[in-house]
Amino acid sequence: MLQPEIILQLVWTGLANASYACLFAVAFALVLRVNKVWNFGQAGQMLIAYSAMFIVLRWWHGSMIVAVSAGLAATVAASLAIEQFGFRVLRRRRASTLSYFILTLVLSQLIVFVGELVFGTEPTTLTDSIVAPAFALGPIIVNVWDCEALAATVALLLLLYLVLMLSPAGQNMTAVADNAALAELYGIDPNRSYRMSMALSAIFITMGMLLLGTKTATVPSTPLQQYLIASVVATILAGVGNVFSAGFAAFALGLLQSFSILIVASRWQPLVVYGVLAITILLFPRGVGGWQFRLPAAGRLAPGSARAETAR
Amino acid sequence: MTYLLNVVILIEINCLLAIGFNLILGYGGLLSVAHPMFYAMGAYASALLTLRLGIPIWAAIPSAAIVAAVASIGLSLSALRVSGDYLVIVSLGAQLGVLLVFKNIELTGAASGLGGIPSAFDGAARAPIHAVLLAVVVLAVTLAVRRLMRGAYGRAITAMRNDEEAFAALGRNPRRIKIAIFAAGCGLAGLAGGFYAHYFQFVTPEQFDLFGTTALLTMVVVGGTATVAGPLVGAALMTALPQAIGFLDLPVAAMAPLQGTVFTSLVLLFLFVRPQGLLGGRRAGGGVEAWVGRPPISP
Amino acid sequence: MNENLASAEPTATIRVDVVSKRFGGVVVADAVSLQLDPGEIVGLIGPNGAGKTSLFNLITGTIAPDAGQIRINGRRVERLPVHRRARFGLARTWQHARPFTSLSLLDNLLIAPRDYPGDGLLRALIADRGLRRAEVAAYRRALELLERVGLAERRAALPSELSYGQQKLLGIARALMNRCDCLLLDEPMAGVEGRTYDRMREIVTAEARRGAAVCIVEHNVSFIRDLCTRAVFMASGRVLASGPVDELMRDRRLTELYFGGAVV
Repeated sequence: MLQPEIILQLVWTGLANASYACLFAVAFALVLRVNKVWNFGQAGQMLIAYSAMFIVLRWWHGSMIVAVSAGLAATVAASLAIEQFGFRVLRRRRASTLSYFILTLVLSQLIVFVGELVFGTEPTTLTDSIVAPAFALGPIIVNVWDCEALAATVALLLLLYLVLMLSPAGQNMTAVADNAALAELYGIDPNRSYRMSMALSAIFITMGMLLLGTKTATVPSTPLQQYLIASVVATILAGVGNVFSAGFAAFALGLLQSFSILIVASRWQPLVVYGVLAITILLFPRGVGGWQFRLPAAGRLAPGSARAETAR
Repeated sequence: MTYLLNVVILIEINCLLAIGFNLILGYGGLLSVAHPMFYAMGAYASALLTLRLGIPIWAAIPSAAIVAAVASIGLSLSALRVSGDYLVIVSLGAQLGVLLVFKNIELTGAASGLGGIPSAFDGAARAPIHAVLLAVVVLAVTLAVRRLMRGAYGRAITAMRNDEEAFAALGRNPRRIKIAIFAAGCGLAGLAGGFYAHYFQFVTPEQFDLFGTTALLTMVVVGGTATVAGPLVGAALMTALPQAIGFLDLPVAAMAPLQGTVFTSLVLLFLFVRPQGLLGGRRAGGGVEAWVGRPPISP
Repeated sequence: MNENLASAEPTATIRVDVVSKRFGGVVVADAVSLQLDPGEIVGLIGPNGAGKTSLFNLITGTIAPDAGQIRINGRRVERLPVHRRARFGLARTWQHARPFTSLSLLDNLLIAPRDYPGDGLLRALIADRGLRRAEVAAYRRALELLERVGLAERRAALPSELSYGQQKLLGIARALMNRCDCLLLDEPMAGVEGRTYDRMREIVTAEARRGAAVCIVEHNVSFIRDLCTRAVFMASGRVLASGPVDELMRDRRLTELYFGGAVV
């Protein structure tokens, strides 16, 4: 019999555990929207963030603040490098999406392999203990970590929204996302927007890895093998171009995975994501419509292309 | 001696994989990261057909190839409805998902894999016989690809890669061609899997993970995409390289990441510095970008 | 094949009924209706950005309409992909030739036949007699067309070695490899003159005489006047007028829209 406490608990845990997935999805969707790249290199960025924080916390026994700063610095630097020396070169060459896919995938793989050489393949966490103090909130058990994670996620989402809507740099990003050629005519430098979106995604990625690393154990290949595909699915579900909807989609996916425990054993839970991918591609290839929080949609998939939208 | 022959056989199996991958990426212009998964499908299918259903090996291996080819159609049909880009994503999901299933169900031996797979030949001459047999298969496949690409089909693929819209406006169906090429490539992967299973007689899920895509990318990008001989050269080099560090079929802890680092660095290097690979022509851009294959000779 | 010239009720080769399409804020087609009958040569004229090329794209299937119907020889096609519509007898050229850059001129034409049985991979491997016959037939037709556009001696050359005008001739030759009921030409005369002009003219009239419906987007007024049986004027995604060329040319309002005030 399904008691309401169980359902509430599953909802709460599902949402809390999806907090970092939301951050990863938003990062991915943002780069797709602005830079027009399916950034599979995100797995590599995730590992860099984790590694930097890991080194500070576990090898040098530094404080959390130093660790997070190091993580941010390393990831932002890496992200800017990827944009400057990777995407920009391909963009200049008018490369097809094929090259971007190969570049980003292989880059992630390279970073994972280097990570395995440096850190080995034993599972690790950022903090010694990943069990946080818990308390009862009505019928459910609530973790301090859960609250912090959700609060951080909401705060970051709000911050991003404010940046995109109110700051000139953010508005430029939106303009470039809609039509880079046109934006350039108006005096906006697209490259600056591209760099900015990569930097913003780096921030989301770092914070997400902080949450992930304080919650569960990972190995270097975990971001690539597990979390990247979830971000991709969330992005597709939301529809290409809808950044915040991708975040909500990530929460929805998290809830779905959380509830799937009622039906399948935990080892099958990752299949939920693949199943959703299959269904989405078959039935809603352009995303689930209607309720999205829509920033003016870009719609085009080809990087830097000013080609008109084609139906087929 | 057997060790050397094992390397040769591994090279030959990798040739089949690389040729198939090149068909899809170099000629078809599609990126599928699920090639290792189809390789696994072929290996497991052939193994199970012989182990559980007692089907003779000479029938099981081609059947496994067909299974892989047919399965690929499901993938390509659904993904290409949207665009070639989605094939990357769908194949990623398939690669991760199917391997997860293989790792967890009893039928495939779960994480320990399948052992005791029957071999076609036994005795001392086993290795040389397999080496020769596979050499014949690789040669046949290479010649078939060459024949295909030198004729009107190759012409059609060139046109399709040059300008898909203009190609379609002539009444030719680009998607049908892509699906067919994808099926051929994945079928070859399945075939390779079958040969692997019955020679090395042992398969585990880890052998078929995402890293396989990187290895194949290296072989094809380094050898030269959209060339007939490129994948062969690439396969030979990239199989011999790790062997030079004295490493057989099961990866050792630090060797794998080292090998991976070398492979990925090579791909990135070639992608930026010499995109047409070792054998590709010097036409504009080359490699995965512009169409580099030699245009077929007209009558 | 549509040989309806003599029948009592000829079906229009192309019928565009109240078709609309917008991209975000830009309306490229606003309730456009158009009919092309066999044997006609219709000139599609109007200022830049009027939606003329977009109309071609809507007919060929490169873009899908938001609303409206499109018929080819009576068959509704607005949901069909590009290659299916082409098989119903549609052929087009583009403003910028769009040849297959890696293929020789001859090969550019050889890949065109849509009844070519070699699209299947297995069939191509086996290369049976039927395939060989189709190849020989295609080869003959290709040479014939290359002669017609005066490019036969250059047949082994790459399109990049040709002049702009020659590339456009190649484009139209390629479009003619298949018997077409409808020929859509997008600015065939832009950037060409002399021999090319004459050749183009000859091809267009020959196709119309054969019973094809020809529609030409053009800015070259004398070409339009010379060849077209009627003209359709478009601006801002809308069809503003349709009728004999001279009549349209005399309309003050249209010439103002087109030339911004200057009289022809």
